[in-house]
Amino acid sequence: MDLLAHLIDPWFLGLIFGGTLMGIMFGAIPGMTATMAVAVCLPLTFPLGLVNSLALLLSLYVGGITGGLVPAILLGIPGTPSSITTTFDGFPMAKRGEGERALKIAIVASVVGGLVSLVALYFFAPVLAQFAIKFSYVEKFLIIFFALTVMAALSSDMLLGIFSGVLGIFLSLVGTYDITNGGNGHTRLIPPGMEYWLDGGFALLPVLIGIFGVTVILEEAEIGMPRGQSLKDIEVGPHSRFSFSVFRGQWLNLIRSGGIGTFVGILPGVGGSAASILSYTAAKTTSRHPERFGKGEPAGVIASEAGNNGLTGGALVPLLSLGIPGDSTTALLIGAFALQGIQVGPLFIGQNAETWNAMIVAMLLSNLVMLVTMFFAIRWFAMVIAVPKQILYPFILMMCVIGAYTINYGIIFDVWTLLIFGLFGWLMAKLRLEVAPFIIGFILGPSAEIYFVKSLESFGDLTIFFTKSWIAVVLWILIAASVAGSIAISRRNARMISPSA
Amino acid sequence: MDNLTRVTIDFQTSHLIFPIMIAVLLGLLGLAILVRDRAAILGSGRMWAATFREMDKPRFLGTLALTVVYFLLMVPVGNIWPNTGYGFLICSVPYVIVLGLLFMHERTPAKLGAMLAVALVAPPLIWWLFSEVFFLTLP
Repeated sequence: MDLLAHLIDPWFLGLIFGGTLMGIMFGAIPGMTATMAVAVCLPLTFPLGLVNSLALLLSLYVGGITGGLVPAILLGIPGTPSSITTTFDGFPMAKRGEGERALKIAIVASVVGGLVSLVALYFFAPVLAQFAIKFSYVEKFLIIFFALTVMAALSSDMLLGIFSGVLGIFLSLVGTYDITNGGNGHTRLIPPGMEYWLDGGFALLPVLIGIFGVTVILEEAEIGMPRGQSLKDIEVGPHSRFSFSVFRGQWLNLIRSGGIGTFVGILPGVGGSAASILSYTAAKTTSRHPERFGKGEPAGVIASEAGNNGLTGGALVPLLSLGIPGDSTTALLIGAFALQGIQVGPLFIGQNAETWNAMIVAMLLSNLVMLVTMFFAIRWFAMVIAVPKQILYPFILMMCVIGAYTINYGIIFDVWTLLIFGLFGWLMAKLRLEVAPFIIGFILGPSAEIYFVKSLESFGDLTIFFTKSWIAVVLWILIAASVAGSIAISRRNARMISPSA
Repeated sequence: MDNLTRVTIDFQTSHLIFPIMIAVLLGLLGLAILVRDRAAILGSGRMWAATFREMDKPRFLGTLALTVVYFLLMVPVGNIWPNTGYGFLICSVPYVIVLGLLFMHERTPAKLGAMLAVALVAPPLIWWLFSEVFFLTLP
């Protein structure tokens, strides 16, 4: 079957349309993610055949990543981990009555980010894969170290921000030193009596849902559940009207963010929220008005959404060329290939040209479906914000329970993790600790450990982190630049605050 | 100089290397915060007193208590009818209703009706979708 045949195949097109819509809904409901959408639909793909099942799963992936922007902007709760940074500026825009404008900006940015990554995937996949394959444990650790230094740039108080990030790493190490990743299978940091529950550590998704879902509801309950915004707040008015002129001067930001997302996606294991965080930081540090970021700056929304959708194409590169998933969602795609009896690896693209082309077409169409449906039906998605809180919040808590309970196929401790980290998030706000660095540390901590220990096991010398390769040297330069940039931002902020103090 | 940078990793204790490093770093950062913010930390009692005084206690503590009861009951109720997801269904309906009542400001018939309608329709619909259509495990 050639490309044209796919384009007129109603099954293929129907699965892309349905998958994208369902993905958007999964991403838009706080507590549900693109990963979960793919996980839920994976068993359904068995009778579909490889091309059609990939069309469905890739559409769910694209839709799910994009859908996360809706609650991120309207409720300040990231629907997916990769839309954390969308809340920073999208939510302040929504709070001042520009919800619809912020959503449309995010949608267009998402599509551009997705298309940038798709072009990179199609034309540069073999070259990029060759580059990524050169990364040993040392370079992978340095890449994560680089991402962690970004924590400092994201923090309003550098010391508290770094402390929060290191605390996130510390908590991510609770449990077993995973034998499947080369660890010795021994446990650590588990309080006595908790061995049964914490053997596998705290699951990432319940931690995220707890901190971003339950914490928000607890904070609202603490201040008496103030009345929500009405439909009037999201009506198209002079203050909320979307115009493409907002992208004037932002094309570099769009392309750069899509490129960063693609690059981060290519690096196995680094994916996820690091893409949007790095894009956001790049936009903030190169902006003429970095002080506007975090207060409702459209450039922040553009960077975050172009970055996280850039991930979609990038994360497929290591999967299709090396058989290594770029993130948790693409890890599930390996299941789809396994269901069809296909092994992904270096030979996949050459031996499965038809499937490869169909995947590209599916992702392209999925981006277009997402643009059209969300751009013109955004009023319906935006109505989430006008639902009364006495209806919305109990419903969200119920959905959070489903998300936490089902992600590991029925573990009640994951549901308790929701509440533990919901309360922990509330406590963090009281202690002025920073949530974003904490989450980044929590996500990247286990990988950092594996790569660090394996580097030392392999080379037995600390200097290897500096001398391994020219890539390591470049990464150290980037790390130094990131730290210097963070210090410069911190000092500039301090100078800006002191005159008014 | 070479000897200073040489490191030998014992595989049997390799699970402790990174956690110890991170714990030491965390301790040092904590110490730096203690030194820098000692005045604020010493005065934190006032902050907590104010937090508790200004808190909407019925809503905050009520949300916590209801959620704990919801989580505690879900599995035992579900075990009465194993692998059906009824624990989730039976516990979610009263949880959504009581939490909705707790969060509501003016309990007018229209608002009560809307909330009750959602509380009675949403959990069964979600249960059906995830348990019967997607075959997901629910408590």
